[in-house]
Amino acid sequence: MSTILIDGRTIAFKPGDNILRAALEADVEIPHFCYHAALDSLGACRLCAVEIKPKNSNEAPRLTMACLEPAKEGLEVSVSAAAAQQVRRHVIELLMINHPHDCPICDEGGECHLQEMTVTCGPPYRRYRGRKRTFTNQDLGPLIHHEMNRCITCYRCTRFYQDYALGNDLGAMRLRNEVYFGRFQDGPLESPFAGNLVEICPTGVFTDALFRQRFARAWDLNTAPSICPHCSVGCNTLPGARDGTLRRVRSRTHPELNRWFICDRGRYGHQYSEHCARLLSPRVSGENTSYHKALNAATTRIKATQNCIGGIGSAREDLEGNTMLQALLNEVGGVFTAFNDPALEAATIAAVSWLQNSAGAPSLIEMEQIDAALIIGDLTAHAPMIDLALRQAYRKGAELTLFHSSPTPLAQFTTSAITVPPREMYAKLSHLCTLINALLAGRDISDDPMAVIAKSLIKARQPLLIGTIETLTATDASVLAKLAITLGPNARLTYALSGPNAYGSALLAPEGNAMQILESVETGKIKTLIVAGNDPFSDPRFGLRWRAACRNLNTLIVLDCILTATAEAADILFPVAAWTERGGTFVNYEGRAQSFLPVFHRPEYLPSAADVIADLAKYLECSRQDVLSVLQDTFPDFQVPAPGTLGSPIPVSLPPISDSPSAGSPLLSSNNSTWQTALMSWYGDETLASFAPGLTSLAPATIAMIEQATATATGIVDGSKIRLRGSADSVVLPVQLNQNIAAGTVGIGRNVLVRLGLGHGDPIELEKVL
Amino acid sequence: MNTFEVLQKNLAHLSRTHPRRRAAAVPAMQNLQAELGYLDDMAITKLAQITGLSTTELEELATFYSLIYRRPPGRHVVQICDSVCCNMRGADQLLESAEKYLHRPLGAITPNGALSVLPSICLGLCDKAPAALVDGEALGPLNNASLEALLQRLQKGD
Repeated sequence: MSTILIDGRTIAFKPGDNILRAALEADVEIPHFCYHAALDSLGACRLCAVEIKPKNSNEAPRLTMACLEPAKEGLEVSVSAAAAQQVRRHVIELLMINHPHDCPICDEGGECHLQEMTVTCGPPYRRYRGRKRTFTNQDLGPLIHHEMNRCITCYRCTRFYQDYALGNDLGAMRLRNEVYFGRFQDGPLESPFAGNLVEICPTGVFTDALFRQRFARAWDLNTAPSICPHCSVGCNTLPGARDGTLRRVRSRTHPELNRWFICDRGRYGHQYSEHCARLLSPRVSGENTSYHKALNAATTRIKATQNCIGGIGSAREDLEGNTMLQALLNEVGGVFTAFNDPALEAATIAAVSWLQNSAGAPSLIEMEQIDAALIIGDLTAHAPMIDLALRQAYRKGAELTLFHSSPTPLAQFTTSAITVPPREMYAKLSHLCTLINALLAGRDISDDPMAVIAKSLIKARQPLLIGTIETLTATDASVLAKLAITLGPNARLTYALSGPNAYGSALLAPEGNAMQILESVETGKIKTLIVAGNDPFSDPRFGLRWRAACRNLNTLIVLDCILTATAEAADILFPVAAWTERGGTFVNYEGRAQSFLPVFHRPEYLPSAADVIADLAKYLECSRQDVLSVLQDTFPDFQVPAPGTLGSPIPVSLPPISDSPSAGSPLLSSNNSTWQTALMSWYGDETLASFAPGLTSLAPATIAMIEQATATATGIVDGSKIRLRGSADSVVLPVQLNQNIAAGTVGIGRNVLVRLGLGHGDPIELEKVL
Repeated sequence: MNTFEVLQKNLAHLSRTHPRRRAAAVPAMQNLQAELGYLDDMAITKLAQITGLSTTELEELATFYSLIYRRPPGRHVVQICDSVCCNMRGADQLLESAEKYLHRPLGAITPNGALSVLPSICLGLCDKAPAALVDGEALGPLNNASLEALLQRLQKGD
């Protein structure tokens, strides 16, 4: 490897590196502002001035910007040269001319890059005595606070927002001494990644508005490596807590996953753990009680209904909790599943099985390198950071194709976006599979409208096929996998799963258990149901059946950290620690197990779900009571990775999925005259995050979305009202016409689906309201 | 014909020379300004619908170029260059004396709506420094006396 010399230290560099990048990667500090590894060099701030030693001794040394100077073999660089120091001192003095010097009341204080650089390089006194330039701030919504006077014009914000995250509602206005970073008018920033401005801004222009409400200095925060619990990607986070409350969440660098960023759901969804209705005391029959009394009550009821017990784990419950529940049920003669929706169970198990029997899911940085992708569903809502990775691929010229049923922000970056009704997704994917086979066999398919897509996937160096499991059936997932096999060994396959530990929970129980438990509860065969971190009552499609069935139960035991509909109905309720209050392990969409540590503890005793079940096992005198040994028994070759490391693959394999799908799972094309539903999601749409008031205040309005042509044919006009009738209820909603929704499909939000008792793709009755 | 239709008409004309709609943004703003005198928020919003740029992207362009006005100017506009060459030849004094003469800050309109004086980024008239653009016409070199005469003439002119 080639090397350069920085102040006598030998630094290795990769081809294409500039001096600054090489130095920072070798942990050699060169002062800088505008450079960021994700955004590369700009040369705007002039702070990274260094002196280059001339080759010939009769030439004078040369000053240059380290971020703009390519590293060359043998180059001798001095950061400490007097001339370089002088440039940096002047740059800081200039940048500080208009700065308000408001560090004591600035939220960035203590972790401010400008503060650090001023102390490191700047003059200790202020010479300028003139008037400072001042700006009017904008209201950027409930999540981000704007304070323009602190700006040093490094352009990191717009380079991240516009160039990296491809947003278009934050820009650099005006010119010269008055450059202003803001929006056209006041209003919330629209990008799902806007919260990263808080971290990318080297001063206090953009700060966390929720953190501001319950502020603590950075050095007073308790932190520990954590994993984001809001989707299946498993971004690494660094939450900060003080005085027994959680104050903020920041990103923690994982070089293969989220790198420097997290989405706004991950950053602001943490408010669920501070929700005013948060469960803090165990309850038995609606009365608050002590932990031990609740355990005693649960023990008595479980003993009384031996062999008539069911347990539902969760895709948002960690590996320890799910495994303990499964082990407990094995001992007391019960059935376990991690899913309350049999269709989601089937789809997740199919997806995990296909991933294990293919080359495995690519990491986010591998996804950034692909050159073509077929995306099924609304990726932004189900795995926002995968969306951000694909935006990077798009920036490098990848051709993205999208099959979607409802509007999704990613559509604007695709080469072709095709709206497909949920029930026709299978047919559409199968047709594409046929086309690709035909093309590979050398047949001419050019008169088919989808030929372009087939060709783009075939000619790609590395095509990616990705589906959002929550809106796909097991058969859809399988046909996507077959498409990947057809495309050959270079094709990569992955799925956005339904929760942070969906992969891990899918390994624990066979497909069909969810339906078996539901039916057993309905027939009265199961008398006691233990639910850990799940909410079967709020399942769009099966919620109604679960509610009715649970009336047959003797006892409903719920363990959760949020007050879900199921938790409210529980006979025995154990409040458990939120994700930042406990340690555990999540298995992400790649099958990568990542552990996390408790960041802080509340004054109340809040054990993890695994601890509660371990205590239950003790009270029940079961033989397996220890979390670690149960984990060891269930996954023999698995060593729990240390928190803060890159994680390790979970060495368990599911059997391959057979070609004949189990009954009940395929969603096939229905009669064209009937309407079908489509889940309309947004990036804050997730169970835990729905308890975060700051984030949910940005939720889109409750409307019914219908495609223009279908609406015209049926005489429905924009803004009129329609009545939607489902199996549980009927609702009247205003209509919004949109081009980006599939024909014959009504797009409605999750809350409305739950109220109607309908799942994604179910038939729905629709009538005009006069 | 309302302003929106004027804009569409102008854009229809522009599309032959500007096949990419985004590229037509600045000429479209100039055209609309020729009709309206300046661009208000409504104009930016409508331009966004027509050019396919976001309102923020248009605002970036509109506020960058000193010949695009986001506030109403006077009937006559004097833009005095304050970049390097003009500054070295006394542009700062010209701007100061314009403020004194009109009894109002730069950018403000005289009471009869006749005139506004604005500073400008380099006009490329370094050979005539200190120079100004008066209703689109290049003028220079200026001194305090000739500037005052000019302002007096423009104020009385209509």
